[in-house]
Amino acid sequence: MNYSIEQILFIGALLAIAAIFASKISERFGVPALLLFLGIGMLAGSEGPGGIFFENIALSKFVGIIALVFILFYGGLDTRWSSIKSVMKEGIAVATIGVIITAGTLGILIYFFLKLPFMQSLLLGAIISSTDAAAVFSILRSKGISLKGRIRPLLEFDSASNDPMAVFLTMTLIRLMTAKGVSVPSLLPELLLQMGVGFLAGVLGGRLVIFIINKINLYYEGLYPVLVVTMALFIYAGTTYIKGSGFLAVYIAGLVVGNGRMIHKRNIVRFNESIAWFMQIVMFIVLGLLVYPSRLLPVMGQGAVAALLLMFVARPLSIFINLSFSGYTVREKLMISWVGLLGAVPIILATFPLAAGVEGGEMIFNMVFFVVLLSALFQGSTIAFVAKLLKVNAPLSEQRKYPLEFEQMAGIDADLNEVIIPFGSDVAGKRVFELGVPQGCVITMISRGENFIIPNGTTVLEEGDVMLVMAEKEAVKQLEAGVAKQKEAVKGNS
Amino acid sequence: MRILDFLDKDCIELDVKSKTKKEVIEELVEMLVKKGVILDRKTTIDSLMEREELGSTGVGQGIAIPHSKTKGVKELIAAFGVSKAGVDFDALDGEQVNIFFLLLAPEGAAGLMLKALARVSNFLKNKYYRRKILAATDKAAVIQTIEEEEKTKQEPLLFCPGEGPG
Repeated sequence: MNYSIEQILFIGALLAIAAIFASKISERFGVPALLLFLGIGMLAGSEGPGGIFFENIALSKFVGIIALVFILFYGGLDTRWSSIKSVMKEGIAVATIGVIITAGTLGILIYFFLKLPFMQSLLLGAIISSTDAAAVFSILRSKGISLKGRIRPLLEFDSASNDPMAVFLTMTLIRLMTAKGVSVPSLLPELLLQMGVGFLAGVLGGRLVIFIINKINLYYEGLYPVLVVTMALFIYAGTTYIKGSGFLAVYIAGLVVGNGRMIHKRNIVRFNESIAWFMQIVMFIVLGLLVYPSRLLPVMGQGAVAALLLMFVARPLSIFINLSFSGYTVREKLMISWVGLLGAVPIILATFPLAAGVEGGEMIFNMVFFVVLLSALFQGSTIAFVAKLLKVNAPLSEQRKYPLEFEQMAGIDADLNEVIIPFGSDVAGKRVFELGVPQGCVITMISRGENFIIPNGTTVLEEGDVMLVMAEKEAVKQLEAGVAKQKEAVKGNS
Repeated sequence: MRILDFLDKDCIELDVKSKTKKEVIEELVEMLVKKGVILDRKTTIDSLMEREELGSTGVGQGIAIPHSKTKGVKELIAAFGVSKAGVDFDALDGEQVNIFFLLLAPEGAAGLMLKALARVSNFLKNKYYRRKILAATDKAAVIQTIEEEEKTKQEPLLFCPGEGPG
């Protein structure tokens, strides 16, 4: 059946709006938003009351990849470097070796318990071995859940960075199943190369974004976030083109950009947050449309077994092996095992064998879909409960409601102080953001000669400018010290 | 805003004797006390010294603009001093300070203070006027120099916030 553009837009908009309303439900009842989005897609789909026929696997994969790029990029943007630094070692272990252990164990268990062909079992294990950043981030950041200490940073780091490994395992297995003459040992250097190139491209790409943003001096402010968004796609595609892991690159780039110093940063982060949300909604609705609930029925039994093996054996085993020498307690490890939420990535990955025409591909897709549903529903909605049970929950008051809305506001000690840009100061001729304005310090106004200027990050400072600064004493001292530095070789002449 | 609106001829001292930051500030405030515009001498000096602790107001090129918003005064006022010998004022460029422009405004008059500071710093930024000030032999020459500079400034065409108190 063919739809007109207006029909597609009308229905699409309606579904997206429904999804946004549904997010309110997710917030209140702790049901993962992705489940509701999927549900809306399924209801609208060919077997639901909506009756929309949609079976375009290539388009689904395309949407899935774009969505993943922005979800990962935003995941990086929103991650404070200081919070993941402490979990770096463990995070990398869990995201790489951990995925291999989970995938391998699960594949072998599935082979024994479900009596599927060996390669198909391994493929299934690989596809559902990576936890989903979108699901984990949205659940850990929702109201009502707060975890102690180093659990959350590890989970976020892991979920955001384990996709490349799962993608790699999946593609490798598909290659082994469809092509002749590919041997496992020859693939190992390729993996290392993908990771290395992905990492490097991410770091360089992120630096490039910061550099361009700070130097380009665009006339239209609205273009800055657009530039960043397109750069994210560029980094993903470019890295993939030079045989690196694009997903890893885009996450690392987000991390670099999110922790860098640049103008319009808040706008840029906010814009990307919106894009990430929008892409999530689109992606899950599309995936919901793509699936036929009736085809899930025959695999329900097997799917449930696979899901249980993953939740209770493979993932905990992998976590406990990887974290055996870390400072995490048994309770914390159990908690980390439980937040092995699956989401979009496995479903997107499950479209790969389908697209490659692997034997049993459709069965795998349906099973993966069902396992993801179970994981999101069962693990996703019990995280708060399990956290309480394991006593690893933190008081809720520490939760920020809108992580991006406000910057740390100065305390009651804050006062209005005048700071003069000294004659011959090194900061004269530079822009406000280059000052490195200390935390809790707001430059509210700049007085220059006869004029008042309401500054933004790009306002160029001149010597003799008087800044009205709202800050507490320590921050003013820092700022004073910052502007005090003299330009070289200008003493005695201005 | 004109500098001569808040700087009185009687509050100019062309031969500052003090040798330290504290003494200079006290000497300049003393002129204002004599003029009868200081409500509380100690509060005023303390608040000026407190401001210096955040960072020296010695802004380089031999200029210092000590300033403070304080309960010690009830309107914007200034005192002007020149030290031929120079004073170690912890200036940000490490040089001795010769020209002192002390500014006081009532507590909460942030806009007023901001405007006045910008006006003063704009005036003293100019090497030509700095030289004339240093060469001045009497108060009238200082007033003349300031007048000369203010003639070059046009009143802004638009309404400026902060003209009123606060």
